[in-house]
Amino acid sequence: MELLRVKNLKKSYGELVAVDGISFTVEQGEVFALLGPNGAGKTSTIKCILGLRKKDSGEIVLNSSVAYLPEKKELYRSYTVERMIKTAKSYGKNFDEKKAYSLVEEFKLNPSEKVANLSHGMATLLYLAITLAEDVTLYVMDEPTWGLDPLMRNKVLSIMRKLSLDGKAVLYTSHILSEVEKVADRVAIMRKGKIVEMGPLDDIKEKYILVSVPKGESVEGGYFYKETTEEEIYLVEKATNIEGQPASFDAIFEALVKGERK
Amino acid sequence: MWFAIDFNSHVPVYKQIKENLKALIAAGKIKEGEFVPSIRRLAQDLEVNLNTVARAYRELVEEGVLKVVRGMGYVVVGVNEEGMTRENLAKLRELLLKLKQLNVERRVIEKICEEVFEDGAAESEKP
Repeated sequence: MELLRVKNLKKSYGELVAVDGISFTVEQGEVFALLGPNGAGKTSTIKCILGLRKKDSGEIVLNSSVAYLPEKKELYRSYTVERMIKTAKSYGKNFDEKKAYSLVEEFKLNPSEKVANLSHGMATLLYLAITLAEDVTLYVMDEPTWGLDPLMRNKVLSIMRKLSLDGKAVLYTSHILSEVEKVADRVAIMRKGKIVEMGPLDDIKEKYILVSVPKGESVEGGYFYKETTEEEIYLVEKATNIEGQPASFDAIFEALVKGERK
Repeated sequence: MWFAIDFNSHVPVYKQIKENLKALIAAGKIKEGEFVPSIRRLAQDLEVNLNTVARAYRELVEEGVLKVVRGMGYVVVGVNEEGMTRENLAKLRELLLKLKQLNVERRVIEKICEEVFEDGAAESEKP
């Protein structure tokens, strides 16, 4: 079931085109990742979806209840963890307080600790606990693993995976590719406000190969990836008449985002 | 059921699942007629998406390795020997081409063939 449909979304800030006509959908039971370098338009896209920014044009059909983890994890600094949760409960519609506390415990946060004393990572975890305690179908998370140590990051990824298995969906942004590969089912790679590649991760990995040519030559339709002392390496779509090396998702991402196409 | 998935590998996850299951069947760890875990269960165990496991199972059904028992799940038919043979012959051809490029003489390769096909020698002649 389609929970979210974005069609030809556009958003500019004055002269700056942040989102330039993108379309995608998020289905129930999937983890969908919006990827791209800083300034590619990921956060603007999310804010338009949630109505926090006014879109210039395009269509957004949101068919689901939503909980949102913003990029800036700002909480009330003078509150304790416990009071923060109580406050969230009073704002929330379907807020499960028990779940919030069990997550706080799982994340090893002290309920009587002041928010001001939490590290970046711990504040992210508290915000995550509050977001995840909201019983909704679509979780929209902007950089949910920002500042987390590897153990906690894996825990959060595992929670995201479980959400998808329970028929929920996650739309999230990240710039850490190794974790994206672990948890995302479909990804959209953004560059300068446009989606340059989208699909199941497995399909994208199977689509491309890396081809090296002597310096000075180029590969028609290929994306420049990098150069060595005597060669240039290009990312190209697989075809029967081209020989190449398998491309990691890292390489695919880097070449597409550089966007130097021949 | 659990096996390691290399998420950073260039090999798609569904293919890794297929290869792992085939290896388990070929090694006799899952036997003919036995059920493999449900799609949901394996997705949970490996922490991957349902669609990824579903895709692996679908292709294994197409290859004749698994079959669907309605309302029950997926049952092992056996590793499709014809398919495995074809796959491995293709690998052998590739290896032979490489050896040819390395100027390995034909009789050296023929000697390996003779040794392998001699009775009882097959198991000890792994490269």
